[in-house]
Amino acid sequence: MILIPCPHCGERNVSEFQYVGEALTRPNPDGVDPEQWRSYLYLRSNPAGPTVESWFHRAGCRRYLKVERDTVTNEVTSVTLPGRGGPQP
Amino acid sequence: MRRKAQATGVDMRLGPRPGEIIDRSRGLTFTWDGDTYPAYRGDTITSALAAAGVRVMSRSFKYHRPRGVMTTSYLDPGCLVQVGDEPNVRASHRMVEPGMSARPQNAWPSLRYDVKSANGALAPFLSAGFYYKTFMRPKRLWPAYERVLRGFSPGGAVSPEAAHDYYDKRYAHPDVVVAGGGPAGMAAAVAAAAAGAAVMLVEGEPELGGHLRWGAAPELAALGDLRRAVAATGGIEVLTDSVVTGRYDGNWVAVVQRSAPGVVERLIKARAGVLVAAPGLIERPYVFSGNDIPGVMLSTGARRLINLWAVKPGERAVVLTANSSGDAAVCDLADAGVDVLKIVDARSGEDVVRAKGGRTLRAVECADGTTVECDLLVTAVGWTAPTSLLNMAGDRPVYNERAARFFPGGGHDDVLATGGIAGDGSLEQLIDHGSAVGRAAARRAHEVSATTEIPSLPVEAHPALFKARTHGFVDFSEDVSSKELEEAVAEGYDSIELAKRYTTATMGPAQGKLESVNAVAVVAAATGATIAATGTTVWRPPYSPVTLGALAGRSFEPVRYSPMQPWHEAHGAKPLVAGQWIRPDHYGDPAAEVRSVRSGVGLIDVTPLGKFDLRGPDVPKLLNQLYINKWSKLALGSVRYGVMCAEDGVVLDDGVTGRLGDDHYLMTATSSGAETVWEWIESWLQTEHPEWRVHVARVTSDFASINIAGPRARDLLSLVVDDVALGPEEFPYMRVRSGSIAGIDGSFMWRIGFTGELSYEIHVPASYGLGVWETLLERGADLGVKPFGVEAQRILRLEKGHLIVGQDTDGLTRAYGAGLDWAVKLDKEDFAGKPELGWQEGRDDFLRLVGLRPLEGTAVPAEGSQIVEAGIIVGRITSSRMSPTLGRSICMGFVAPHLAEPGSAISIVAPDGSRVPAVVTPQLAQVDPKGERLHG
Amino acid sequence: MAEPAVIARSPITPAEPPSVVDGWEVSGRRSGAGLTLVDCMPLAKILVRAAPDGAVGRWLGTPFGRAGTNPDGVLVTGSGPDEWTLFGPHGSGRALVGAVEDLSGERELVSALDVTHGRTLMRLTGAAARPLLSKLCAVDLGNAVSPNSAVFRSSVAKVITDVVRDDRSGVPSYLVHCERSYGSYLFGALLDAGAEFGIEVDGYTSTEMRGV
Repeated sequence: MILIPCPHCGERNVSEFQYVGEALTRPNPDGVDPEQWRSYLYLRSNPAGPTVESWFHRAGCRRYLKVERDTVTNEVTSVTLPGRGGPQP
Repeated sequence: MRRKAQATGVDMRLGPRPGEIIDRSRGLTFTWDGDTYPAYRGDTITSALAAAGVRVMSRSFKYHRPRGVMTTSYLDPGCLVQVGDEPNVRASHRMVEPGMSARPQNAWPSLRYDVKSANGALAPFLSAGFYYKTFMRPKRLWPAYERVLRGFSPGGAVSPEAAHDYYDKRYAHPDVVVAGGGPAGMAAAVAAAAAGAAVMLVEGEPELGGHLRWGAAPELAALGDLRRAVAATGGIEVLTDSVVTGRYDGNWVAVVQRSAPGVVERLIKARAGVLVAAPGLIERPYVFSGNDIPGVMLSTGARRLINLWAVKPGERAVVLTANSSGDAAVCDLADAGVDVLKIVDARSGEDVVRAKGGRTLRAVECADGTTVECDLLVTAVGWTAPTSLLNMAGDRPVYNERAARFFPGGGHDDVLATGGIAGDGSLEQLIDHGSAVGRAAARRAHEVSATTEIPSLPVEAHPALFKARTHGFVDFSEDVSSKELEEAVAEGYDSIELAKRYTTATMGPAQGKLESVNAVAVVAAATGATIAATGTTVWRPPYSPVTLGALAGRSFEPVRYSPMQPWHEAHGAKPLVAGQWIRPDHYGDPAAEVRSVRSGVGLIDVTPLGKFDLRGPDVPKLLNQLYINKWSKLALGSVRYGVMCAEDGVVLDDGVTGRLGDDHYLMTATSSGAETVWEWIESWLQTEHPEWRVHVARVTSDFASINIAGPRARDLLSLVVDDVALGPEEFPYMRVRSGSIAGIDGSFMWRIGFTGELSYEIHVPASYGLGVWETLLERGADLGVKPFGVEAQRILRLEKGHLIVGQDTDGLTRAYGAGLDWAVKLDKEDFAGKPELGWQEGRDDFLRLVGLRPLEGTAVPAEGSQIVEAGIIVGRITSSRMSPTLGRSICMGFVAPHLAEPGSAISIVAPDGSRVPAVVTPQLAQVDPKGERLHG
Repeated sequence: MAEPAVIARSPITPAEPPSVVDGWEVSGRRSGAGLTLVDCMPLAKILVRAAPDGAVGRWLGTPFGRAGTNPDGVLVTGSGPDEWTLFGPHGSGRALVGAVEDLSGERELVSALDVTHGRTLMRLTGAAARPLLSKLCAVDLGNAVSPNSAVFRSSVAKVITDVVRDDRSGVPSYLVHCERSYGSYLFGALLDAGAEFGIEVDGYTSTEMRGV
């Protein structure tokens, strides 16, 4: 079981966290066209390698976290607070 | 106490041995195959049987050949037995206990006369890929094949009556886990602990010591020293009869503790700083004709039998030796009084050709042309390095031709190797290496970046001996011979991974530990490649089989109760499992409960309703963002119904929110959606609008929530409330009031109407919930108040046409389709799902939620039934019940737009295929569509 | 009406013999066992949300992940990055909420919520408290990571649970609290896990908060 180093709680088992998905930015709902909006809803790059993801520390500090993780090695290189990015659809 | 076994009349027990682990002062008896046998405390099932001269322990899996002891260890492939209710017990590992009842497996009708051993005669037909070739065609016979194969399938019997046992699990955080309690492992543990590390030392056998335990005087002396050092060093947790079954990401190490006090097995989930793999070496069997006949034994197996359990393995022996273990076996055999008739020294090119015998060994034919009559053949042809734990960390083993075995590839910071898998050398060198690895492990566990040099062990030359010139078994558990492997290669399965799957070699209970390298060698020889080029199959977790009980452990299934649960239980409520909540479904007669609400007053426990305390000046902004309808102007003391959609426009949840103070609101969500809604709220606040000043607290459990519904609801509430005016003008529909209820301050109540009746939902501090519930029932007795359950509530709301998110909507239901058009306010600046809802507005190509009445009032079509028109599905039933109020069946469902007009005739397909004609009702509500009862 | 005769009840059925303390139905059992579990439901519990560097945060004093007792005998636990859970004697809830609200200034958003009835609180005390919890919780309970006065939230027996290490006279002791509705389950899970260590239920007394 991989560990995620939570900036608040320290290293915790991944089972405490909820995987939300690739970190995305919500398009401005005004003037967005269906293609842009639906690519935000449904299209994911799913790389084999480094990726930026959103995780929710459900059983800990209850914060949404931005996690940089390599999907091949499971190495977590950075965990930060998300700031303004928009909720994941 | 010397006792001959009555069943055999034989006594192979030797006089006391210096390293024996049996307690001769504690004799006991157990049964094997119905006969009673003597044993000592410390005997395994097979050591006790071998002491009584029993040679056949089981029948093999495919050919039902007789099999006996070979390794006298956990891996012994011919010694899986049934003990009481427990199948597949490793008889060379499991200790006998007084009164234990053990039986052979795979033998019918008996071990002695096994009819299926006819399989042996059919051996040419059970060739490589037997299953794939034989049972493929014709396909129509698959069920018949399955029946036949099941009859022949290996393994013991699982009893459905077996008692539940207590399995446990726990977490641990050792700095260093040492897997293997031999000399190197013990030394590593002592050195790591001395360097300040918290150490977990895990050994599969019942005692620490590894191969020292069955050694001669110098080994036994070293064993004593090492055990004393382990005991004297603080910070070492020793787990014997335990095994590290896997290493996963982040050095998450699974340890199964097989015999712990009070539990059958315990799974330990250890987060190790550093894992030290010290499993030792496993002796490799030799491939030759007859290599599975009872009486053919490995040198370590014979030495263990003699030195640990004081059992003479035979009377007249031939020894094939290529190393010091074979030489030591010769000494031990002689010492035990076995007549060693011939020593076949592989180091000088000597070899055996075949073993002969039926149920037991009779003779050995040697390469020099001689045949020696004997009952014991001991082989010592080399070693397998079980590098599994390293491989689980990504290591790929490398073949060393000089030593004729694989070695770890190396290069890990958090998984280190010591002992036999790391190299050879004297006992002193092994211990020194273990100590160095232990010190390095302690350092690395404390400072992640520390990379310390670890000395290397010498590698000694060993002859490469895998197979004699005859064919024999490679995989004893799966009955796979070298001939089958060669056939597999000839048929094109010429990589080891393919040949393995095609023949099932290495896939049986021994999981490659005895047979893997031999399989590689046979495939290499057949393909003309080197062993190094052929490589090995990949070792994956578990290292050793794990019982389902250990994996399940104590099961944790949280349940949630409302404060009124004791009352519900005491009054015969039928429990309904709703997610983690246990709720009263009904108290005996849901229809009567409905009638009692419509005619008088009823109470329902709605505590599981999701409740959120919202505070701060920006709450209206948050509500506008979450709900599709408008929230900017919710007056103090007012309550509003709201619908939430996800970003794809699909209905997510609904509920009411009331304004309790200037900057203080209470929001409710559906019971099942409460968790999702809470995370949804937090995601908006944390990621999109961190500048909003809002605090959200989940208060679902803080309040006991009771819905009081029915024409007499106000009369009932007035009996317990005296500081809030309850009149229809002072407290109208969709308003909220704070006050005390039954004397309990800090309560509040709102007027809403899910059931379609005049109703108040009261929320009281949870600790008083039961008391308030009881007070309402007591005081309301004259009003005829009755409790009602979830089922009655579902009927009531269906009569009223109120939808349930998740019941009447699904993952594709957009707000417009669910008849919520009125709620969508596209002129708001932003809200979740706005773009999708904007594009949907005005479209009419999706299903519509409507009320439905079957023409036949007694027909209740099952929920989920399809609605069809000319053979095409045009809708489905989402809710259906018999309405006690109307005395007929009513439904809600989705229909295609052209059928949504009131009065449209539709046809429902019942599960039995019959058609139920129905008509679309004027509106969703079928009882009191004008809402006169609600607003009363 | 007007008689507030309604008794307060914990979600945990009191062990025999039942008793009433401060208007609460509690267990009157007294145990001398080496490992005990006490239902502390009547204690006041306040959830505070405020900026860690604001007036309220400074007054509360303890950072996230740590607990401390203030001069009034209130146990202040840093239960989240901008969140505290306060434990006070029975009946002190209203005063605590008032004290926090008095401190909150104009600009800072501060909320204080009495969660006395919404959280199930229990105290686990004894030398075997740590091995017991390590059967249910994956967090490292060793002194290096979780010393006395450590506070964390994690999964305990699959329930999201707050744990406060609050040793009593050198004896390991943990305050454990979770959402009220899970209380009965969690109490049972702790007792089940503690059976091998001889755990016993001890009753609640109104002196529970003294001496913290």
